[in-house]
Amino acid sequence: MLDKVSVFCFLASYAVACLLELTQFLRRSTAMRWSAIAFTGAGLVAHTAYLVVRSRQHDLPPLLGSTHDWLLVFAWLAVVLFLGIQIWNGELSIGIFCLPVVLGMVVASQWVSSSPIPQMAEMRRWGMIHATLWVFGILGVVLALLVSLMYLVQHSRLKQKQRQLEALHLFSLERLSRMNWWLIVVSVPLLTLGVLSGLWMIHLSKQGSHPVDLFSTAVLANAVIWGVMAFLFGWLLAGRHQTGRMIAWRTLLACLFMLLTLLAMMLTSTDRIHGTDAASGPGAVS
Amino acid sequence: MNVQVVYCNHHTANLEIRERLAFSSPDSLRRAYDELRQRFPRSEHVLVSTCNRIEVYTAQEDPADTPTSAQVAEFFADFHHVPLTDFLDDLLEQQGPEAVRHLFEVASSIDSMVLGESQIVNQIKAAYELSMQTEANGPLINALFQRALTVSSRVRTETKLSSGRVSIASVAVGEFGKGIFDRFDDKTVLVIGAGEMATETLMYLRDEGVKRILVCNRNLERAHRLAGEFSGEAVSWNQLEDCLRRADVIVSTTGAELPVVTKEMMKTIRRHTGPRPLFILDLGAPRDFEPGIGELDDAVFLYDIDDLEATCERNRGKRAEEVLKAQNIIEEETQRFMQDLHHQATGPIVKRLREHWEETSRQELEILFRKLPDLEETERLAIEKTISRIVNKLLHPPLETLHQEARTGTPHGMIDAIKRLFHLRDEN
Repeated sequence: MLDKVSVFCFLASYAVACLLELTQFLRRSTAMRWSAIAFTGAGLVAHTAYLVVRSRQHDLPPLLGSTHDWLLVFAWLAVVLFLGIQIWNGELSIGIFCLPVVLGMVVASQWVSSSPIPQMAEMRRWGMIHATLWVFGILGVVLALLVSLMYLVQHSRLKQKQRQLEALHLFSLERLSRMNWWLIVVSVPLLTLGVLSGLWMIHLSKQGSHPVDLFSTAVLANAVIWGVMAFLFGWLLAGRHQTGRMIAWRTLLACLFMLLTLLAMMLTSTDRIHGTDAASGPGAVS
Repeated sequence: MNVQVVYCNHHTANLEIRERLAFSSPDSLRRAYDELRQRFPRSEHVLVSTCNRIEVYTAQEDPADTPTSAQVAEFFADFHHVPLTDFLDDLLEQQGPEAVRHLFEVASSIDSMVLGESQIVNQIKAAYELSMQTEANGPLINALFQRALTVSSRVRTETKLSSGRVSIASVAVGEFGKGIFDRFDDKTVLVIGAGEMATETLMYLRDEGVKRILVCNRNLERAHRLAGEFSGEAVSWNQLEDCLRRADVIVSTTGAELPVVTKEMMKTIRRHTGPRPLFILDLGAPRDFEPGIGELDDAVFLYDIDDLEATCERNRGKRAEEVLKAQNIIEEETQRFMQDLHHQATGPIVKRLREHWEETSRQELEILFRKLPDLEETERLAIEKTISRIVNKLLHPPLETLHQEARTGTPHGMIDAIKRLFHLRDEN
């Protein structure tokens, strides 16, 4: 039964939920809001089932299965977070920001390698540490991006002296600013540790049957991502006279750059660790 | 008898015009009453000047004495030295029942920017009291304004207009302040001015958890009084700049005719404070903060009365049912007031007609009793009662008709006819 769950099942659920969230801008409806949550919940169940099946098939935790699985775990965490926030505060308009990212990740997962990573069998423990640090680090960065986006929307409304749209309830600037700061401050150390653990894994791979090149595109792209985030982190901690809007803009741009780099790396790299499967190519997963 | 109002308000005129036409101090109001008395000596007057409206109510015994709206506009132009062309299109005029209905709506806060707010009734009361103090009032104005206060109280009791966010401060903080700040208990609030609006704003902010309150006012004694009420700190006017540096939230409600805080002043202050968020609520009309202050940096959020208009409109939409109830009450009271007014006009003729008939019957009874001196006291009383009943029965149809006619307006034709039919002369 569980084997029949495909990516399409939860992708469709999330897409419907996203459309239902959009209808709130046309007509505010509690029924629609709850329907969106219900569709997201249904999608999450299918999503979980899919990851469990994949994990059993490869005998690897989902995070280590493949880049495809890693992206789906990332999307799964984003959905869990979204549902958690919606249950905590049903008035907040998080779905309109969160669900498109989830859809993007699920769609992107179709274009990357879904074959098990060969090195993982040899470095399972380090692989788990590396993947976990990266997934939470990147999740923090994506959340910082969303929070910055919310900040800019809220700031623009307040500056233009417009009333709050019923369909767009956001946190206050004060809270969004604080959340943004903490997300960057937490993500950068996670990414740093992720990079360090990755370097260690490259070193370990030299002794194994599948050595990884230190100067491969994927490793260099990860280094660039880390560099950008570390720069933002330093600027946040050391900078003075920064307005919340300035911080939000810079965070938004840095996170966007980082995400695009990450996706580009995953879609172009052919090392089967961080990118597509050269053998199977894009869209190999069904 | 006639009642008239010439006015501009937040529906018709923008804040810039209202600022120029406002009577912002009691002194300017007194001067305005003197001027009105000179220009329209046969009228009774009340001037209502708030941040959202400037209204001149006049009432006259003889409708011919009613000043035209052009004359009232000239009064505004001359008094404030504002060219007529700048505001003439923003002025409205209402006469008779429309004017009465307008006042009842204003007093019941139906016409307010924030539906159900309680401040307007106090402002109407204060305007009427000042009219009495300056002897600009008269019997018609007294009846009108006393009734307006009664109607306002009835609307508040019989509808739910006053529940929920019903002050400008609560709307501003709810809609914008909470979009900027997450909490208020760690913020410093500066209130500039110590009037009723300041008190109302502080009451709301205290409910939001504000603990550090600074009250800065030209009159330090009033600042102390207000600060004491809210466990705040009263600050003298020359410390205003220092207070502006300390504040996270500023609420300004002075009656100053020129901005209290200029852009240059705030620029200097922002250089010291850095770009920390600053929420400014300028509830003064004329405005207390120069509009350019809102553009100084990303973290300054300045809102004036007009900026809150859209939000208030939305609140109004949500209470449409209560507005309908209030309007029904106002309609009923307007009709009742107009009837009373018209009955007041027919009152003297009814009194004279009754006196005339009673005098005639008394004279005839005296003649009869002289002719019949042997009548017992009880018999005399019975005859007197019978005659009285006949007088009442005969008077009933014309008086009832007069009463009916007075419901729709003063029945001048019928009054004249009665005077001629019964040979009643005008009282001197």
